[in-house]
Amino acid sequence: MIRTEHLTKIYRMGGAEVYALHDVNLEIQDGEFVAIVGPSGSGKSTLLNMIGCLDKPTSGSVFIDGVDTAWLSDNELAEIRREKIGFVFQQYNLVHTLNALENVALPLFFAGMKREMRMEMAKEKLESVGLGDRLYHKPSELSGGQQQRVAIARALANDPEIIIGDEPTGNVDTTTGNAIMDMLEGLNKEGRTVIVVTHNIEIAARAGIRKRMRDGRVRD
Amino acid sequence: MKDAFLLVYRSIKERKARSTLTILGITVGIGAVIALISLGFGMQASITEQLIEMADVIMVTPGSAEFGSWGVVGSFTDRDLADVRRIGGVKDAVAMRGEMEDVEFRGEKLRIQVVGIDPRDIGAVFGTAIALQEDEGIAGRDLRENDRRACQIGYSIATDYFGEEIRVNDRLSINGSKFRVVGILAKQGGFRSEVDTSIYVTTRDSITMLDNKDISTIFVRVWDIGDAERIANEIEARIDENHKLDDFTSAMTMSGAIEQLGTIFGLLQVVLIALSSISLLVAAMGIMNTMLMAVMERTHEIGVMKAIGAKNRNILTLFLLEASVVSVIGGVCGCMLGVIAARAISFGIQTAFTVEIAAIVKPEVLLGGLAVAILVGILSGLYPARKAAKMSPVEAVRYG
Ligand SMILES: Nc1ncnc2c1ncn2[C@@H]1O[C@H](COP(=O)(O)OP(=O)(O)O)[C@@H](O)[C@H]1O
Ligand SMILES: [Mg+2]
Repeated sequence: MIRTEHLTKIYRMGGAEVYALHDVNLEIQDGEFVAIVGPSGSGKSTLLNMIGCLDKPTSGSVFIDGVDTAWLSDNELAEIRREKIGFVFQQYNLVHTLNALENVALPLFFAGMKREMRMEMAKEKLESVGLGDRLYHKPSELSGGQQQRVAIARALANDPEIIIGDEPTGNVDTTTGNAIMDMLEGLNKEGRTVIVVTHNIEIAARAGIRKRMRDGRVRD
Repeated sequence: MKDAFLLVYRSIKERKARSTLTILGITVGIGAVIALISLGFGMQASITEQLIEMADVIMVTPGSAEFGSWGVVGSFTDRDLADVRRIGGVKDAVAMRGEMEDVEFRGEKLRIQVVGIDPRDIGAVFGTAIALQEDEGIAGRDLRENDRRACQIGYSIATDYFGEEIRVNDRLSINGSKFRVVGILAKQGGFRSEVDTSIYVTTRDSITMLDNKDISTIFVRVWDIGDAERIANEIEARIDENHKLDDFTSAMTMSGAIEQLGTIFGLLQVVLIALSSISLLVAAMGIMNTMLMAVMERTHEIGVMKAIGAKNRNILTLFLLEASVVSVIGGVCGCMLGVIAARAISFGIQTAFTVEIAAIVKPEVLLGGLAVAILVGILSGLYPARKAAKMSPVEAVRYG
């Protein structure tokens, strides 16, 4: 379960204070599919980064499975990201010097898994997103949709409970976007918590729960 | 680990030009150090070798004649010489009476060192190494015991000192007395370069014609080199006693001289290493620059790696590994360059100056060079690597 308490993030731009998040209190149960919508600059990415333990709040807390992440060290946060969370970014964010298989195996490398096992698992994940025939392609040799599927396979590498997608369909066409949503829906059906930011109404409509953001605040 | 290397390899390959320049910097730095040290050892070896030829020699020279006066150099007497000859273990003791004299040749007058020596002793002093210069068919000859007003002259005196070259059978005037040149000595150079600038006459002429009765140097050869130090001490004690002076006599063994040279070369090595350290410092800054650029360029990638679970330590390791790989490659290339450069310079010196200075490449110097390269690489990679490791994942991901 994910819970935020008075979650606030303030950026200081020159003299001015920008409330990227303003006293956000929300609860996401295990296995829920949540879509976050809202205008650009409303704080969606900031919220996902807090939940995903990429960033630390100015005040307030994020609890993941009851643990207040505000008190954790860099190392402990890295462990939570590695074990519990899988990220899918709008820009795919693959390591462009590595091929698809190596990209998917990278989180397992940081987890200290042996090479053969790692490669075996990475191959399995790539096959599960339908890229069994693209294992040795570099990101530059793949289409946007294919790159995003590699990114999903990478997010799944550590078998995380939570999948976080920041506009995962933002850079691909509608058909591909729908395919990616199908995939995320499938992951949700397997029991994973899926949290997705999107601008697309149709895609948002497929989620069980919608949260609307404006000026750093969440309204249901 | 293998995959860490793979990641590092890809990243080095991706920035080929800059990595190459960095590697080149280390290569040149380490190469310079190794070449200089190897040539230093070579120089030391060749000089030591020349000295070892004379390892059984003790040079006995006088200090100041009166206590507390440093200006006036004293001299030895025939009694001193006789006493030295009587010391056990002494094979030969030869007296040399050297003094600066006015030497005139065809109207030109110069002050030159004129040495009185017994002709039969010349071999004892100089060994067989000293030979006569071939002078357009007139070879000249050695000094003889019964020669009167005859001299042998050094190579430089014959060729360089006077406006006109001196030939065998030419006449010189020393202190106003006419002397005939019976032989010209071959060029010596190195440790015997003093021979090139001296004129040799018989002891008798030195005493009777030049009024030079004082012995300026006693040249001793010993039977057993192991005894040299003891004999030197005994010589000093005997002659000091004869003159009723303390610390009047200085008897220097060649092994002592070799030791002294060792110290001088040690110092020279330190200077050389200090100089080449500058190039290493430049190389270090090169690595730091490359690594900082790599960190900047890959901010985004670092953020992504952190987002998928990399710990600070993982990132630190990757960047340090990259710095080490670059410096190991540079170090290995530097060792090769150093060896090649040392050989080339040694060859160049040999052809240009006909002086043999071998490049002595010691394995411990190569290992040391490699170690220094790695150390430099890791130290200069540390700051950029820490910077990368400390990067906030969200800032990094945003960067893209
Ligand atoms: N690193 C940052 N520095 C300064 N301001 C930031 C930073 N990150 C986000 N912001 C600001 O916080 C607000 C929320 O941003 P963000 O969460 O990216 O919005 P969204 O993803 O909904 O478009 C915006 O006003 C943005 O300009
Ligand atoms: Mg955003």
